[in-house]
Parts: sequence; C-alpha cells; structure tokens
Amino acid sequence: MKSSFKTPLIALLLIVMSAFVAKAQDTRIQMGSLDHLASKASQTVDVNVDERLMKLAARLFSEKDEDERQVKKLIEGLKGIYVKSFEFETEGQYVAADLEPIRTQLRGAGWTRLVNVISRKEGNTEVYLQFAGEMVNGLAVLHTDDKEVTVVNIVGPVDLDKLAQLEGQMGIPDLGIESTKSKKKTNEQ
Amino acid sequence: MKRIATKIFIAVFIVCFTTAPVVYAKGDDFNSVVKMIEDFYRVKHVGIPFLAKAGMKVATTAARIKGGTARRLAEAGSIKLAVFENQKFNGDFAKFRNSLNQALNVSWMPLIQTIAAGGEEQTYIFLRNAGDKTNVLVITIDERDATVVQVTLSAKNLALLLKDPEGTGKAITDEATLIDQE
Repeated sequence: MKSSFKTPLIALLLIVMSAFVAKAQDTRIQMGSLDHLASKASQTVDVNVDERLMKLAARLFSEKDEDERQVKKLIEGLKGIYVKSFEFETEGQYVAADLEPIRTQLRGAGWTRLVNVISRKEGNTEVYLQFAGEMVNGLAVLHTDDKEVTVVNIVGPVDLDKLAQLEGQMGIPDLGIESTKSKKKTNEQ
Repeated sequence: MKRIATKIFIAVFIVCFTTAPVVYAKGDDFNSVVKMIEDFYRVKHVGIPFLAKAGMKVATTAARIKGGTARRLAEAGSIKLAVFENQKFNGDFAKFRNSLNQALNVSWMPLIQTIAAGGEEQTYIFLRNAGDKTNVLVITIDERDATVVQVTLSAKNLALLLKDPEGTGKAITDEATLIDQE
C-alpha cells in the first residue's frame, strides 16, 4: 500500500522540480539557432560566463584588490552572461527568419521590451527585460544592422545601469545603450 | 598460502602501476587538446627542446594588456605550451569547435570563443577551478600556426581576464610564446 503512494508522490515531486528548473532556465536565451551564421560571418564572438564561473569569481575575488573588487561588484548576483555576435563582410548574409527563434523566445511570457531605450550604435537595438513579479530576472539585447547580428543575454537581477557598466567588458560589446524615459511596452499588450 | 599472497601482491602492483598513468592521461586535458588538434588537422606540434627554451624565455617576459600596463600573468612554473608552426589548418571549424567543447565540457568552463575569416582564425579560452587559483587554457589556431597554452592565474589576473577576455587571452599567449627582447 505504501509503495502505491510513493510512486505517484515521487513522480509529482519530479514534475514540480522540473517545472522550477524550467522556470529558472527561462531567462537564458537559447542562441544555438544562430550558429549556422558563423560560416558566412567574417567575425564570430561567443561568450559564455555561466553560473559556475560566476560562483568561482565571487569566491576568489577579494575586496582589497581594486581590479577584483570592480569585477566582483559587476557580477554580483548575476547567474550568467551570454553573447553571440556575427559580423559580415557584405550585406544580405542573414534574413529575418534567422532571428525568428530568438524573437519567439523574447515574445514569451515574462519578457518585456523597453521602448525608452536608444543606442548610439548604428542599426536597430531592442532591449528586453524579464520580470518575475516586480523582480527583474534577466535582460536581453538584440542588435542588428546590415552587416551585424548581436545577441546579449544577462541572467539574474540586472538593469540598464548595470548593462551600461558591463558594456565593453566581459566580452559584451559596446552597444551605446541609453535610457530616455521610464516607459515600457509589454508583450502582453 | 604464501603463493596466493604473492599473486595478490603482483596483481595489486600491476593494477596500481599500469592503470594509474592511464587515469592520469585521461585527466590531462592539455595533452588531449594537443592530440585533438593533431588528429583533426593532421599536424604535429613542436617538440620539447623548443618548449624548454620558451619556458626559460617566459621567465622575464612581461605581457602587455588592455590599459597599457605590463605585468606577468601566469603563475611561476605553471605554463604548458604546445606550438604548431607553418602547417596547414584546413578543416571544418564548426566540427572542431564542437569536438573541443565536448571534450572539455566536464571540467572546464568556456569563457570566450572567437572565429574570424571563415574559420582561419580561431581562439578559444576555457577556465578551470584550481583551489584558490584558476587554470586557463587558451587555444589559438590560424591558417598556418596554432598554439595551446595552459597557465595558472591568481585571482587578480582572473579579474583582468574576465574584464577583457580577448585582450588578456592574447596577452597570456604572447607571454608564453614571445621571445624576450630584454
């Protein structure tokens, strides 16, 4: 009798756990669909600073050293930094359909596109935040121009100020992102 | 009884002294990566005498990193270096990258991977926890040459690497390979 209860209970626990895991991973944008662009690109950059590395850095870095303190402060609370960037010699090396798998994820629940953000860089820059209630769980930037596709995904509590501090560091390109006013457009609208 | 004890001793001896190096070889990812490059691209790395010379030179080599400061990056005695000179590195870079990532996935963390000129210039940087320090593996492959460098970094130099992965990665390779002009 006991075992007949045990099996469904374990199954239920597994389902609940996997749901939590799936939720935790939602903020991570899967960028593998862009990999085929590497064969056409003149330059490809792939940055993976995952949670293991974040934990390692947080453990090793001391407050006494200036360099270590700076990086420690930057990555505090973050769970991952992922960048994929492709630069092309000529125009027309990618099409909108190539970006659709990324956009589909960004249209998903929780992601909110910020419309109050501009970039000093040429081309089109879209900035998205993922909220869990009032908390920001992650950030994504999709930058495209005729000869470039860049996706930046920061997992964890992050805002535009933090993004501005991270630009040009840790493999994140300098996108020249600036906030104009505190207005946002949600995907649910 | 004595013969059984002798047999057991011989068996234990064989197990200890023949399987241990195999286990070590499996855990030596630096050598595995060098072998992987050799197998994939059908090339050969430069032998030990050159490496010994490079190791001696590096003792006084200072690396120049972003910001213009010159400083030693690798912890003393930690450099492992394999150089491939003037050979053809023709192959499917995507396939090589996948194989490399799969091989190092268990104990190493990928930091940055850059590919330029249709795969003719490849750079891979991986990190591994080494107690209060960090092992860094930098693999650079271009059309004719390749370098595999493994070093140990202090926390301070790991901070520099995280701030500027490309620049510091290049500085690590330069530090290990450049002939000292001093």
